[in-house]
Amino acid sequence: MSKKFKGKAWVGGDDIDTDQIYHGQYLPLTDPKEMAKHAMEFVPGMENFASEVRPGDIVVAGKNFGCGSSREHAVVCLKENGVSCVVADSFARIFYRNAVNLAFPLLECPGISKMVKTGDGVEVDMETGQVTNLSTGEKITGNPPSGLELEIAEKGGLLNYLKC
Amino acid sequence: MKIPKKEELLKLQAQYKTDKKIGEALGGVPEYLVAYWRRKKKIGKYSLAKYTKEKIKDLWETYGNDQKAGEELGISSAAFYKWRRKYNLLEKPKVLKFQQLELSLPSEILSQGNMGRQTIAQKLLAKKSGKAQVKVGEIVNVEPDLIMSHDNAGLVIKQFKEIGLKKVWNPDKIVIPLDHRAPAESEKTATAHRSIRMFVKEQNIRNFYDIKEGICHQVVVEKGHILPGELAVGTDSHTTSYGCLGALSTGIGATEMAVVWATGKIWLRVPESIKIVVNGILPKGIYAKDVILHIIGQLTVEGANYKSVEYYGDTIERMSISERFTICNLSMEMGAKFAVVPFDKVTKKYLSTVTKKRYAPIFSDRNAVFEKESEFNVNGLEPQVACPHNVDNVKPIGEVKGIKIDQVVLGSCTNGRLDDLEIAAKIVRGKKIHPEVRMLILPATRTVYLQAMKKGYLKTFMDAGAVILNPGCGPCLGAHEGILAAGERCLATTNRNFKGRMGSPDSEVFLASPATAAATAIKGEITDPRDFLK
Repeated sequence: MSKKFKGKAWVGGDDIDTDQIYHGQYLPLTDPKEMAKHAMEFVPGMENFASEVRPGDIVVAGKNFGCGSSREHAVVCLKENGVSCVVADSFARIFYRNAVNLAFPLLECPGISKMVKTGDGVEVDMETGQVTNLSTGEKITGNPPSGLELEIAEKGGLLNYLKC
Repeated sequence: MKIPKKEELLKLQAQYKTDKKIGEALGGVPEYLVAYWRRKKKIGKYSLAKYTKEKIKDLWETYGNDQKAGEELGISSAAFYKWRRKYNLLEKPKVLKFQQLELSLPSEILSQGNMGRQTIAQKLLAKKSGKAQVKVGEIVNVEPDLIMSHDNAGLVIKQFKEIGLKKVWNPDKIVIPLDHRAPAESEKTATAHRSIRMFVKEQNIRNFYDIKEGICHQVVVEKGHILPGELAVGTDSHTTSYGCLGALSTGIGATEMAVVWATGKIWLRVPESIKIVVNGILPKGIYAKDVILHIIGQLTVEGANYKSVEYYGDTIERMSISERFTICNLSMEMGAKFAVVPFDKVTKKYLSTVTKKRYAPIFSDRNAVFEKESEFNVNGLEPQVACPHNVDNVKPIGEVKGIKIDQVVLGSCTNGRLDDLEIAAKIVRGKKIHPEVRMLILPATRTVYLQAMKKGYLKTFMDAGAVILNPGCGPCLGAHEGILAAGERCLATTNRNFKGRMGSPDSEVFLASPATAAATAIKGEITDPRDFLK
């Protein structure tokens, strides 16, 4: 897992739920490439996310990102689009867990949503938890993963962790 | 007087049992004298009954008190002590069974040994991980008692195959009901369902419930798959519902479930616990759904994120298992990892109707450390409505009354049980659903459906103009059977009102109780159910 990410920010609000990230009607899809096409479809202001997002882009959000369903698709659709990580004020429990298990980097960073606007360049250091807004130069430090979370992430997700 | 011979005395003892009665039979010989004769002739005291070790052990673990346990057998505390000494049960039981609640001396006993100040989550996770106690924040590796998946078992199977194992760890711990898209609404789902059917056969997973049975969580509770003091994980966020029976249960993702299928183990962080106390008598027309919506409105959608919520208070104590189910189910909408109503008489009574299995409830210590305590009083509570697009956007009915509604959904794991249908049926009976409203009714399970049919509720709904759908999740997650068009509004007894949850992103969902749903269906606009209960 690479430790530093640099990319363009997509900024969403508070309580972005799993239905907004990946709507229930697409749950029968099993191909990650298909899932990717519906990422963030219901997030206000991000209707074109799936077609415009570029590999390496970074999603920034407010509190409780990923609340709601246990669907893993919500993680898969972001990962498959090449989103390098999500930085949010806070994450909902199951979404966070799913991301750890699928080795998709998340950084909890209270205050981040106020510091970044869509389109800003952002640098995220997953090791130190430092996030820099490259457009404004502002810096903030979040809570980087540690312990078991980090171990699983470093092995490339729970399935690989199990095989090791 | 003549002292009876040993044979005579034995005969008298067989007939009269106690020294006192023997004395009376001999014409008023004092009790102590009979006892003296017996001792001289080496005749033991008549033993009233023989108790097996299991019986004595069971009572000892139930009460942890010679007096109370003895009373259960009709013998003195000293006699009970002798019995347990005989079976070498000399130490106080570490964990007591449920009757302790009725004795109202739980914590003193529970906190003996080194188990003091622990919450249910700590005690249960300690037990499951084989430790004496665990600290909040600690990561434990535990073996769940039950693992549940629904239609998304298809995805779990895919990940399981990736692991490369031939057999699941324990097919008897896996429960799979198909409910989310049942019967299959598309070819993709049909293919997934087919792969699940093949897999359960191949793996000998007997607790598979095909599309006929109903909503997974209700099936699990109804069929006795989960018991107090047990731990469950499920690939559905509303798995927290099993807390209604004093169990700890939580939602996980499909990949993680594949690993549990493979290894039987899962890592869990021991969560902080929150204590929520609800007191007061529910006013007429106010139900468990209103209570929990009110709580979520106050604590917000992340008010219990990562936490274990324990519910107490006289309102909760009076609630049925169905009502407690609603409370624990919706606690997920505050982010709760676990939500639990501790085991009590209500739980015991309910379980006696669904299972014969033995169980060992777990309770918090009296001085357990909670991160936060919140108290609510329901006296004077009004019907509550969660407005679009967040479950914590809760308003008393007075503020939303009169909003026009196109569809009413009565059902889901939150409110699709017999009591929910009964509440609505009583309001709808003899009336007509508003001509511009589509009222959809989904009994949660086949059992509920059959009971509702027998009680005539389904006919009541049909007569009024409602549509009865098959048991399952139906339109709750926007999959099928009642999708909303742009601009439409729905009032539902379900659990989520997220943007676009039930269809178009430009539709709206309001959440409320079955009573509010029924009243709204009749009027065609959000209506206070108390108008119909006068």
